[in-house]
Amino acid sequence: MVATNLNQGPDRVAARIFRPATVAGIKDSRSYTVFRAINGVLIIVICFVTLYPFLNIIAQSFSSEAYINSGQVNLVPRGFTVTTFQYVLGDSMFWRNYGNTVVYTVVATAIAMVLTTTFAYALSKRHLKGRTFFIGIAVFTMFFNGGIIPNYILISTLGMKNTIWAIVLPNAISIFNLLVMKAFFENFPEDLEEAAAIDGLTTYGILGRIVLPLSKAVIATMVLFYAVSFWNSWFTAFLYMDRSELYPVTVYLRNLIAGATAGDPSAAAAGEATQVAANIKAVTMLLITIPIISLYPFIQKYFVSGVMLGSVKQ
Amino acid sequence: MTQQSRPAGRRRSRRLFAAVATVAAGALALTACGPGDSQQTDGDFDFSGKEVGAMSDYGLDTTFVATEPVEFSLFYRDHPNYPIEDDWRILTALDEFQNVSFDIVSAPLSDWDQRKATVIGAGTDVPQIISVTYPGQEVQFVAGGAILAVSDFIDYLPNFSDKVERWGLEDEIDQLRQEDGKFYLLPGLREQLRPQYTYAVRTDIWEELGLSLEPATFDEFADQLRTVHEAYPDAWPLSDRWSANGPIEATVNFAAPNFGTSAGWGYGEGLWWDGGEYVYTGATDEYRDLVEYYAGLVADGLMDPESLTQDDDQAIAKFGSGQSLAIGTNDQEILRLRSTFEELGTDAEVSMIVVPAGPAGDKLPAGQRLVNGFMLASHVAESENFLALLQFVDWLYYSDEGLEFAKWGIEGETFTRAADGTRVLNPNIDINGLNPGAPEALNVDYGFHNGVWMLEHGSTVDLDLSMLRPEVQEFVTATVDKKEQHPLPPPRPLTELEREQVSLWQTALRDHVWQNTSRFIVGQRPLTEWDAYVSELEGLNKQAYLDVINGAVERAAG
Repeated sequence: MVATNLNQGPDRVAARIFRPATVAGIKDSRSYTVFRAINGVLIIVICFVTLYPFLNIIAQSFSSEAYINSGQVNLVPRGFTVTTFQYVLGDSMFWRNYGNTVVYTVVATAIAMVLTTTFAYALSKRHLKGRTFFIGIAVFTMFFNGGIIPNYILISTLGMKNTIWAIVLPNAISIFNLLVMKAFFENFPEDLEEAAAIDGLTTYGILGRIVLPLSKAVIATMVLFYAVSFWNSWFTAFLYMDRSELYPVTVYLRNLIAGATAGDPSAAAAGEATQVAANIKAVTMLLITIPIISLYPFIQKYFVSGVMLGSVKQ
Repeated sequence: MTQQSRPAGRRRSRRLFAAVATVAAGALALTACGPGDSQQTDGDFDFSGKEVGAMSDYGLDTTFVATEPVEFSLFYRDHPNYPIEDDWRILTALDEFQNVSFDIVSAPLSDWDQRKATVIGAGTDVPQIISVTYPGQEVQFVAGGAILAVSDFIDYLPNFSDKVERWGLEDEIDQLRQEDGKFYLLPGLREQLRPQYTYAVRTDIWEELGLSLEPATFDEFADQLRTVHEAYPDAWPLSDRWSANGPIEATVNFAAPNFGTSAGWGYGEGLWWDGGEYVYTGATDEYRDLVEYYAGLVADGLMDPESLTQDDDQAIAKFGSGQSLAIGTNDQEILRLRSTFEELGTDAEVSMIVVPAGPAGDKLPAGQRLVNGFMLASHVAESENFLALLQFVDWLYYSDEGLEFAKWGIEGETFTRAADGTRVLNPNIDINGLNPGAPEALNVDYGFHNGVWMLEHGSTVDLDLSMLRPEVQEFVTATVDKKEQHPLPPPRPLTELEREQVSLWQTALRDHVWQNTSRFIVGQRPLTEWDAYVSELEGLNKQAYLDVINGAVERAAG
């Protein structure tokens, strides 16, 4: 089992990182203090550089277009206006697509979690017949796939186009996540399962009542990974949905940003490259990323510990 | 891991596995062969059973009204500026007056080409009318048999044939013909080509310095930039945009014909007809002149070298903040530049200059009169509404009445006609900046002036210029009067095999040309290395490419 003292909880962790230099009576050497000071400054600078584009987008979303076009908007909104927000929030298609995103994400994550967990658990049992074969198939799909057109023909002929199934089924299992979960389940102490089996639990019972409740860390991590990936995905929806009211909001945004600045030179040359206003793009971007960003602090502890989960073999 | 005993069982299961694998592989291989689509090869097409809804007396300048309600499936390109609405007036009007409704399959503009390629390549549920296709884009679908050889049905498209004849477009149509002599795209037709791109300059500064807004030559324009630079040393005289795929591709596109070559958006397959054979554009002396001109601008500090790398937004920001005093533009974008200055309350003014002449004279690119059009799926030939569909697309896209309808809307509802025949948009509707501040927009709220139904802004000179602001009309007329087009090069249809061979070479050559154009212009590579660069092109199969192309020319001619 991976032993990480991050399990102590964020408060104690923070206390240990930021503890004053004289805790426990041992003073830090001067060079160490200097190091920590420089380190701190460097990290603050890096944080700022990383945050700057995001702050810029926030500023743009509250600015009027003329100021953006003359390059005067940096961190502070110029020509403060909320009409762009009103315009975007008043677009019913935006809300419909937003709702679609939420539905697709929830359903897709649920299906993905069920499939991945059960597959990973089965694969983690060394006595499974054909285990290497199944692992081989799974890993094979990581490197090779059929291509866009064969996939399109498949989904089309299965009649899944224009339904939610075209989005939630094809990429339901991420093999990377599968392998992480498999490794985690492999490290799960066998003694617990044996004891449960002796007490009369079936395999499903063991899975549901012993293994899963103790695997909250990896489950939370995988939920987060899947949810973020489905929230951000646009390609499957763009490919299989024929009507704009079925798109997730990411396709809406992509059309707004990439669509009007046409990549196709012949279209652009024909004068079709009229741009959507920069502030509309900024507002839409903001509205789409806000939910995930608001959710992140609550799931952060799982994310940090979860990345390293399954990395240590017994 | 130790081998377990029981070899007999192992051998049996291994043989079974091998047998299953072979069968599976065989089945997989067989699925690759599907039934081929058979194309109609001749005229005298038999329309029996396919005339439901068609008019019996449809002809030139007849209004199409389907005799029964018909529905066509349409591949619609969703533009973010005017998202589709089911209750658009254009849709209800077509239903009401023409008895035509649409089953719309929508795809976003951002990835329109990829979606189109996937759906048509897959061949399942291809919509009957595939809109917004540019000449050249239909070629990739010809071999698969998924699109209709529309040239077989010209006799049923009277308005199309009439316009081709009246405007002398036969040679240009021949350029669309594939190796089998047929063409597969119904292009938008233009009576006259419409120049759209040029430089936008700060009129107030140009006038202050006594510079003409109509520089006669590119050299004169360079001198103007020099004067501006001396007067305003802190600002870039020129900082350009539209470098997403290649170096200042929009600008070199409008500049190149005046240097006797093609570049940027117009570069295409990199072929230039020198009167006797095709040569490779990127290796010609004329292309070198073009590159040298821009390299000179950068070397003299007149053009911002970031023009070749910056985002459009950055270029616009520089111009809007006064850090640059000229930028590439088109007749739509200039409105945005102007409104930026107005909102900020500055005295800056912007206007477009007429593209100057160059060493090769005052030229416009060849052709340019066949533009954005549409394709038909090959299965429409089996539809019971086939004849009605042909008549409908002919009416909507090629008749004067249909073109006006798609562009302006309905007389009395969206526009009125003045006594002298000019059309006046209703004051509550705006498009193209004609009625700024109006509450409704012709495309957003009504669905007219939509690239999917309106071909080429109306095709005729009358319609084309009718919605343009006076400054744009002046620009267009001045350009077309001043300049002449390069002659049209001969057609060079390739076989499928040749096309595959050639596309690899084309891309490698073009990438090399564009990379080096960038480097020459920015000064990273001195122009003295031009000959070295040309020999690098030789190493990329330039001659093999030209041989195939020139072979195709001879084959088509003889």
